[in-house]
Amino acid sequence: MIYIGAEVIISPLGDTAEDNWEALSENRSGIVLAPGVGFNKEDIHLSQIAWLNGPLRFQRLVIKALAALKERIDASILTSDRTMVLISSTKGALDDNLHDQFGETCSAVMQQFNLAHLPVVISNACISGVLTLNVAGNMVEAGQYDHVIVIGCDVASDFVLYGFQSLFAVSDKPCAPFDAARKGITLGEGCGAALVSGMQSVFKDKPLELLTGTSANDANHISGPSRTGEGLVRCVGRTMQKHGIGTEKIDFICAHGTGTVFNDEMEAIAFGRLSLSDKPLNSLKGYFGHTLGAAGVIETAVCMQMMRNSMLIKSLGYCDAGTSEPLNIILKNEPKKLRTILKTASGFGGGNASLMIRDL
Amino acid sequence: MDSLKEDLKKQIIEQLNLEDLTVADIADDALLFNDQGLGLDSIDALELIVLLEKYHGIQLTNPEEGKEAFKSVDTMAAYIRKRKAA
Amino acid sequence: MKVITAYCNLRADECLVNGKVVARREVGSEDSWFKQIYKQQAWVYPKFYKMDMLSQAGYLASELIKRANPGISEAYSDDEIALVFANASSSADTDRRFIQSYEGGGSPSPSLFVYTLPNIVLGEIAILNKWYGENMFAVLPKFVPGFYLDYSRILLASGSRALLGGWLEVTAGSTDVFLFMVEEKESGTEFNEENLLHLSQTVAAY
Repeated sequence: MIYIGAEVIISPLGDTAEDNWEALSENRSGIVLAPGVGFNKEDIHLSQIAWLNGPLRFQRLVIKALAALKERIDASILTSDRTMVLISSTKGALDDNLHDQFGETCSAVMQQFNLAHLPVVISNACISGVLTLNVAGNMVEAGQYDHVIVIGCDVASDFVLYGFQSLFAVSDKPCAPFDAARKGITLGEGCGAALVSGMQSVFKDKPLELLTGTSANDANHISGPSRTGEGLVRCVGRTMQKHGIGTEKIDFICAHGTGTVFNDEMEAIAFGRLSLSDKPLNSLKGYFGHTLGAAGVIETAVCMQMMRNSMLIKSLGYCDAGTSEPLNIILKNEPKKLRTILKTASGFGGGNASLMIRDL
Repeated sequence: MDSLKEDLKKQIIEQLNLEDLTVADIADDALLFNDQGLGLDSIDALELIVLLEKYHGIQLTNPEEGKEAFKSVDTMAAYIRKRKAA
Repeated sequence: MKVITAYCNLRADECLVNGKVVARREVGSEDSWFKQIYKQQAWVYPKFYKMDMLSQAGYLASELIKRANPGISEAYSDDEIALVFANASSSADTDRRFIQSYEGGGSPSPSLFVYTLPNIVLGEIAILNKWYGENMFAVLPKFVPGFYLDYSRILLASGSRALLGGWLEVTAGSTDVFLFMVEEKESGTEFNEENLLHLSQTVAAY
């Protein structure tokens, strides 16, 4: 069995999974209006960590997350040569060193925590986080490592904001995933971490079971979602099939839900094709914004908190149905025992990834 | 020959990296976003917005407005003239 | 047995497929090196001109591998070929160009921005071939055969039947591209660390 646990979330909503959980259970969002930060000096909604400024923001956030995770596990495994650290990110320390966006952070993390191996970075746009958790599970399953720590992190930058503005993809209101009036994304920054291991004993608190999934490309467009949801359908279908889990077993879907017209529509079509339209579903982008390479890890950590607390969390920003295929979007927090959940992600480059987590 | 349209064709080729095309390959009324025409995609449409600002000083804040304006070189030229006259 | 059935080395001045030179850079040509190869092969894929250098390199090397190993697409169903690529500098070169588009008075270029992710080259290859399989892009300090071996074993044991691996380091100052195809065959160059390292350093036979 592959275990996942010791989850850490650092976001504008708090520095621990518990602080973040408290905010989510009160439906508080990290998104605020940042004055004059747009390319044309517009005010832009962003989910930014107030204390995170100055140089080396990416490196500091990654180190802070790993230090927090260390407290939740048997710390002796950190220095073992049977332990690997994977970092999931899109733009890393771009603002510190354009030409080497990850190298310095990897070296610093290795040195500070006395790791046996240099961390490996996985950079697959917005599916990075979910993909990296799957890579971690696969590495443990194949016996390549006993423990794999996954850290997903991206920090806010003019670079990314201006880029999404050039695509006219930034919402002028806090993002509203799956809502009829959705107008685009809200960017966020944050860091999520979790330990994936074959040994239950290394977790201080009870872990959950990671049912590793697969990835699939849309083979359609580098920056536009597929109109048919083909890649997402194939990826989720294969993930469920791999573990012999039928639709009746899925209690909840944590969707990608960026808040752009086409992404959310694509997901609705895909979940329809997968006969998953009636499953309670949310997007967490209304709380954290889109944290890009961190999103999959942060959102999976929230799923774990939802399972631990037996609570469905409202899809913040959603009011009216806004997709051609119906979805069962969570309108308010609701206690519910969650046995098996599905997490999906889709992103630039046509990537789709999914995983499942099961209660022990 | 309409020099604005000729300039536009050069600018489109340059801005969109359509290196396999020459000005002579683009008819004034060829549909830019049709596969039988130039076969441009949604990113090209956004790049045309950059082109309008860069070469013609025209800001377009709503991509929807571009849909009509960017049908062909003819409609782009008409749009530029309309905006400049306003 | 898992064997390397075709490979391509694309460097600053020459392009080799299975150890044989297929193109040499023409010094003084108006065209970029990658464009020289594209034109010489007489391929027709106008999208090539829109790609950034990373995607152009991936396109050229993967098409050359397909030519050297015809029938790849027919031999596998559309989601059985996994793509596992890596490099050291992510999309830094295109990142720099994108920054230049908005610094100094210009507007951020959407067509440059969409290439400011290293995994876009995987999307380009998937789109061209209609491949729906597994994709992964890693950023590593240098070419490490063990990385490909480890992850390829995982993918080839879980649904993928073939794999296109790649190291694509393309910056303003250097071109170091190595793509290789891994398939299950009864004989051939075994897919192991030693062979992979050796083939990555292939020198042209004159």
